[in-house]
Amino acid sequence: MDIYLCSKRPSWLVDNRRMRTTSDFQWLLSAFVLLYLMNHVNSQRKETPYDLKCTTNNLQTWDCSWKAPSEAGHGTLSEFCIDNRSRSCYQLARTNIEIPALSRGDHEITIRSLQDAGSSTSKFILNEKNISLIPDTPEILNLSADFSTSTLHVKWNDKGSVYPRHSNVIWEIKILRKKSMELVKLVTHNTTLNGKDAVHHWSWVSDLPLECATHYVGIRCYVDNLLFSGHKEWSDWSPVKNVSWTPASQPKVFPQDKVILVGSDITFCCVSQEKVLSAQIGSTYCPLIHLDGENVAIKIRNISVSDSSGTNVVFMIEDNVCGTVVFAGYPPDTPQKLNCETHDLKEIICSWNPGRPTGLVGPRNTSYTLFEGFSGKYVRFKRVEVSTNESYHQLLFQMVPNQEIYNFTLYARNPLGRSQSTILVNITEKVYPHTPTSFKVKDINSTAVILSWHLPGSFAKINLLCQIEIKKINSVQELRNVTIKGVENSSYRIAVGKLNPYTVYTFRIRCSTETFWKWSKWSNKKQHLTTEAIPSKGPDTWREWSSDGKNLIIYWKSSAFRQLTKPQNKSSFREDFSRQPQLRLILWLFNHIEPKSCYVQNDLQTEQAVGMGKGILLTWHHDPNMTCDYVIKWCNSSRSEPCLMDWRKVPSNSTEALIQSDQFRPGVRYNFFLYGCRNQGYQLLRSIIGYIEELAPIVAPNFTVEDTSADSILVKWEDIPVEELRGFLRGYLFYFEKGERDTSKMRDLESGRSDIKVKNITDISQKTLRIADLQGKTSYHLVLRAYTDGGMGPEKSMFVVTKENSVGLIIAILIPVAVAVIVGVVTSILCYRKREWIKETFYPDIPNPENCKALQFQKSVCEGSGALKTLEMNPCTPNNVEVLETRSTFPKIEDTEIISPVAECPEDSSDAEPENHVVVSYCPPIIEEEIPNPAGDEAGGTSQVIYIDVQSMYQPQAKPEEEHEKDPGGGAGYKPQMHLPINATVEDIAAEDDLDKTAGYRPQANVNTWNLVSPDSPRSTDSNSEIVSFGSPCSINSRQFLIPPKDEDSPQSNGGGWSFTNFFQNKPND
Amino acid sequence: MNEWAGRVRDLTSFPLPGPLCLLMLLLPLLSPAAPISPAGPISQAYSLAVYMQKNTSTLLQTYLQYQGSPFSDPGFSAPELQLSSLPPAAVSFKIWHALDDGERLSHAQGAFLALTQHLQLVGDDQSDLNPGSPILLAQLGAARLRAQGLLGNMAAIMTALGLPIPPEEDTLGLVPFGASAFERKCRGYVVTREYGHWTDRAVRDLALLKAKYPA
Repeated sequence: MDIYLCSKRPSWLVDNRRMRTTSDFQWLLSAFVLLYLMNHVNSQRKETPYDLKCTTNNLQTWDCSWKAPSEAGHGTLSEFCIDNRSRSCYQLARTNIEIPALSRGDHEITIRSLQDAGSSTSKFILNEKNISLIPDTPEILNLSADFSTSTLHVKWNDKGSVYPRHSNVIWEIKILRKKSMELVKLVTHNTTLNGKDAVHHWSWVSDLPLECATHYVGIRCYVDNLLFSGHKEWSDWSPVKNVSWTPASQPKVFPQDKVILVGSDITFCCVSQEKVLSAQIGSTYCPLIHLDGENVAIKIRNISVSDSSGTNVVFMIEDNVCGTVVFAGYPPDTPQKLNCETHDLKEIICSWNPGRPTGLVGPRNTSYTLFEGFSGKYVRFKRVEVSTNESYHQLLFQMVPNQEIYNFTLYARNPLGRSQSTILVNITEKVYPHTPTSFKVKDINSTAVILSWHLPGSFAKINLLCQIEIKKINSVQELRNVTIKGVENSSYRIAVGKLNPYTVYTFRIRCSTETFWKWSKWSNKKQHLTTEAIPSKGPDTWREWSSDGKNLIIYWKSSAFRQLTKPQNKSSFREDFSRQPQLRLILWLFNHIEPKSCYVQNDLQTEQAVGMGKGILLTWHHDPNMTCDYVIKWCNSSRSEPCLMDWRKVPSNSTEALIQSDQFRPGVRYNFFLYGCRNQGYQLLRSIIGYIEELAPIVAPNFTVEDTSADSILVKWEDIPVEELRGFLRGYLFYFEKGERDTSKMRDLESGRSDIKVKNITDISQKTLRIADLQGKTSYHLVLRAYTDGGMGPEKSMFVVTKENSVGLIIAILIPVAVAVIVGVVTSILCYRKREWIKETFYPDIPNPENCKALQFQKSVCEGSGALKTLEMNPCTPNNVEVLETRSTFPKIEDTEIISPVAECPEDSSDAEPENHVVVSYCPPIIEEEIPNPAGDEAGGTSQVIYIDVQSMYQPQAKPEEEHEKDPGGGAGYKPQMHLPINATVEDIAAEDDLDKTAGYRPQANVNTWNLVSPDSPRSTDSNSEIVSFGSPCSINSRQFLIPPKDEDSPQSNGGGWSFTNFFQNKPND
Repeated sequence: MNEWAGRVRDLTSFPLPGPLCLLMLLLPLLSPAAPISPAGPISQAYSLAVYMQKNTSTLLQTYLQYQGSPFSDPGFSAPELQLSSLPPAAVSFKIWHALDDGERLSHAQGAFLALTQHLQLVGDDQSDLNPGSPILLAQLGAARLRAQGLLGNMAAIMTALGLPIPPEEDTLGLVPFGASAFERKCRGYVVTREYGHWTDRAVRDLALLKAKYPA
């Protein structure tokens, strides 16, 4: 019973669903029972089969196994029975059995162990949910390695035929590296089973080159069948397979010549039998990662763009070096600005900008292929290595006949990637024609030409739009657009009209298509002279009679001649024509022009006009009689008649004309004549002289002095010639001032100096000018200048001296003479009438002592009175002073004119008195002096005459004492006036002292003093010159100086006693 | 001749094999019997070699400059790098001294023959690696042409001296085509370096010959 129960309720195969149907109480009770039973079963395991487990690896068969009872020996039979609708039992000698998969639901399994000692039976409930699905261990069919790409290829069979369809399988692949089997990668790979065996591939790119280390690969799987409700488990790992590289004897670095994207990571390794010392990329050293053996690796992160020859990676090995080159760059940029156009509709040129540089050159450079979608044709870009720096690439694509729309795709690829760019073009709208060549111009007529040119291309199906540039000399260029049907033979012609005859044109042309894309470049310029045409009207003519009235001169204008600066051969006739105007033109005029007679009005007034700017405006009143037109002719007034510079015709309704001409020059006078035209001919209406612009005269008027008097000057001048006037004369400016030729410079005439007198002569007909109120015998500076409205002309100056005023001079002489005569007469009369009184007064027969003031002398002198005493002019014998020098080196000075015999004195050779022998005259004061020559001055032997008045000789303080003593002794009594020989020497005087005392009448003074020479005199202190004193014997009482003290250097010293002799003697001796 | 005699004495001071010394002494005596005077070709070859010598260091520097670091680093040198197809110029003085004129010329002839081929190869390599460097390519081309010129001159000398001219060999064979970029760079380095060394050696060889066969 226990077993049954036990079998009925197997502890770990109980269906949960049943338990959920019982009540809580029942569940608790059951749990209790279950615990009890489990203990019971465990206690009985040894006796019955137990621990039934079933798995499946293909969902079709189940593998069940159980544990036999402990007492069952080897070879014990078991009976495995499945209790379903048809009970099936299997007799087994083992404890496992493979049974077909059972249907869903519980199945009762009875296992009876048939032992010798009896049988033990266990019952199990088997359900699919209790089955574990464990797939068979997969097996790697093949593991291969692509060393160049460091790729492992794994190949295995999924054995799908054993599983129901539509099972998902998860494969787990592990990559192990190095002999130590370090797991480097674990990946899952999903597949679906389709009921058949299938071989699966899986590839893996290793970051480490496969050559560097052994790589191991293992695989397992997990079958995920949705219909199977049991437990699913991973299969066991397959046996690992490995990949290794047989190293060569030489060390080698991997990968070789790899092209990688800039910024990516890469690992390099060196397979070496020897120890690797260091590794570097470029010049940067890297840490070594040690692999199996001596192999090492380095890992480079974020690699930068390489040079054109790549980035070097070098491993230094003892006594060797090995390395590799990596090329880091970019995949090709999308081709930019892809554009396709054609020059000739035969060949398409596609150009593009490659964009960002890839950093890869040579075999790694970007290759381009241009593919046309509609035709399927393509062309490849052939790189010209020299032009690697060009920013644009271009490809030529031959056009496909009858195809207008092109769909171009440009493919760019390099080892790192590819890109493309597409353009769809209607090629007839992308025509950029070649430059037109063989450009020619042909005449049609005088106003039209044919242009022909060559434009290569197959433009037969389209229209061309061409632009013609027409340029006339000195004119704005004209552009004309024309549309031409395209032709196949590339030759084009077009007519260009509306041109001027006989005109030089410059043509050039460029073309485009009607559907405008781009203009071609301009063709070469072509210059062309249009042919001549029949003149449309006669020339502008004028005629004049020659001055003798016998010849008619005819003038004409021809604008055509002025236009052609370079007449060509055809115009030679015209050149001849122009050289012989009269002959040719008379014939011409005979047919075309009706000469009109000319009337001249005699009472015409010449008017003046001044122009403005470049022209001159003439106005006139409207004259209804003038029916044809007006003609204004003009000429340079300095030219002889008939002269004509030009003329101009003005319509008859005009009343003014602005005459302009390039020939006009400022400052030149022109004559303008206005003719009016009537039926019977031209009539001179006005005659005008004028200037375009007035200038200042360039010359001064030529003027002369016609007459001069003491107080006036008459000036006359001439007209300035018209050529030099350069304007209408407005007047003259006359300046005058006192001044000598040398000193006076009449500058700053306009500054208004007060001493310059100005006369403005505005009457230009005036040709003379009298300047009055001048001073006689005075030099005057005269200046004359003309002026116009253009300014002042230059000045012309002259110096004139006015005549002397003779009457005044005469009067000035006569009046003093007359006065002198009258005074003399009156004086004579008075003297005559009073002669008695005069005689009584001045020359009494017996002098009245009272009248002689000598008696008062003592007192006056002693008193030192400064009262003036008059020197009485007594008649006396003139005397002279002779100065004699003892020195022989000096010539004797002698007045040859007046020599007084009494003054002669013998020469004294006294040592004590080395001075000259001096004869002193005391009246009248005629003094002679001889200035020694300069040599004498230097020798110190200067002879000097000092005039000392009488008073000085009597000055007490200046006299030596002995003289004072002698004076009283000399006697103060009256002494008669007598002529005495005067001895010059002191000795003589001293010797005669006694005689003097005994003589009768004597002068009232001691004559010794007269020539007394005092060595102490102040006047003798400074030189050794002699001092001469003199006095008057008759007026010794006079104490006044006759002559002031002489200053030798001053000419004024003679002022008191003026005489010719004195004057000359005082002159410097040069 | 006095100078030459002195040179011979100097040379004989080294322990040279007796027959070789005899040959060297005999050579000047034999030379007048040669059909053409060797002085002209020797002088020409010497001038060319001297001219080449002036450009070899420039070529090497230019070459290294375009190969990137560490080749372009200042003072780069890798004497351990050699090419089996290119005979090294380095030779011990003793061995070199023991060579007779014919052997020297023969060695140089062989070396420059190999160098012309290798320079062509290096030029091709650099067209791939440095296509945008016309200066380097031009210098490599010029060096190759000069090496060819020197070959011609040396052949003329050997003819003048009555020496057999070694047949041209394909020294490169099939080896170089699978080379990696790094191998190409190294190969070019060895070639340009050896070109300089061989030119130096040729200058010395020819100077010796020139002294022996004065014009």
